[in-house]
Amino acid sequence: MALKKQNDDNVTELSPRRSERDFNGLKNSLHEGDEDQRRWAARDLASFDEAVGPLVKQLTEEKSHVVRDAIYLSLQKIGNQDVVCQLIPFLSEEDAELRNSTIEVLQMIPEQIETHIISLLNHQDSDVRIFAIDILQVLAHAKTPEWLLSVLKDETHVNVVAAAVDRLAEVGTASMVRDIEEVKTKFSDEEYLMFACNTAIRRIKANS
Amino acid sequence: MTKVLVVDDAVTVRMYHREIMEQLGYEVSEAENGIEGLEKSAFSQFDLMIVDVNMPKMDGYRFVTSIREDGHNHSCPVIMVSTEEQLKDKLAAYKVGANYYIVKPAKVDLMQKIANLMVEE
Repeated sequence: MALKKQNDDNVTELSPRRSERDFNGLKNSLHEGDEDQRRWAARDLASFDEAVGPLVKQLTEEKSHVVRDAIYLSLQKIGNQDVVCQLIPFLSEEDAELRNSTIEVLQMIPEQIETHIISLLNHQDSDVRIFAIDILQVLAHAKTPEWLLSVLKDETHVNVVAAAVDRLAEVGTASMVRDIEEVKTKFSDEEYLMFACNTAIRRIKANS
Repeated sequence: MTKVLVVDDAVTVRMYHREIMEQLGYEVSEAENGIEGLEKSAFSQFDLMIVDVNMPKMDGYRFVTSIREDGHNHSCPVIMVSTEEQLKDKLAAYKVGANYYIVKPAKVDLMQKIANLMVEE
């Protein structure tokens, strides 16, 4: 960003932030400005709870990585239920960057996402169920082991079970080893899952 | 010695792929996302890369696109590995420059056969 040094040693920003900094001015800049103006608008909209809709809408159209990053950061700062509800559909998005950045934002607002975890773990799309387990990676919630055990018991998709086993390797306790052993029996022809279960059991025992 | 870079955010998957490649006598380096993968590839020449699609910070598609753009690994064979099994996912991988696409969980035998083929070529 261009900076201008003034006589009194204060630093003043030039054009990208000259437009109106009220909500409507920022919303317009986010949609219509050049890359620098859009980035600053995205950043400054973090002060407005009502900016979630315009920020999320811009994500679907925005091609610039720097503007997208600014939008993710602002959504994370706003961090309310509206952010969670508007981002969750992106977990099924074809755009891998949008999908993965959504997971990163949701991981940063654990207190808002926890009420959605059960429905995500039961989502019809197995990839969304895996992303739910990815979110659990940083969700230090007392129910995390219980949620993961329910995946081991009820889930039939090998990759979702594998993700849960992987997570249990970190948060599991000795009492859960039997559940992991049962996964080995259930998926005995899946080489990766056998490897993941053995690794998880080894790590749990080492930490017990 | 044949050098392989495994890029995946899941530690167990990296361990699994390492074991499979080490059984072939290959030397394995690991990265946990695309950014780390680019850092590793900036300092080493690899004979094969095994790359996950969904990773934080930089996904597999962006990583492979960057690798193909320039640098001494631009022609390195890449196997992309993902849980996503639809045709559009495979096509997206080939579009960015992957040489092969394997749906997780990868079978040891298949991984080794494909890896050998890629390295020999």
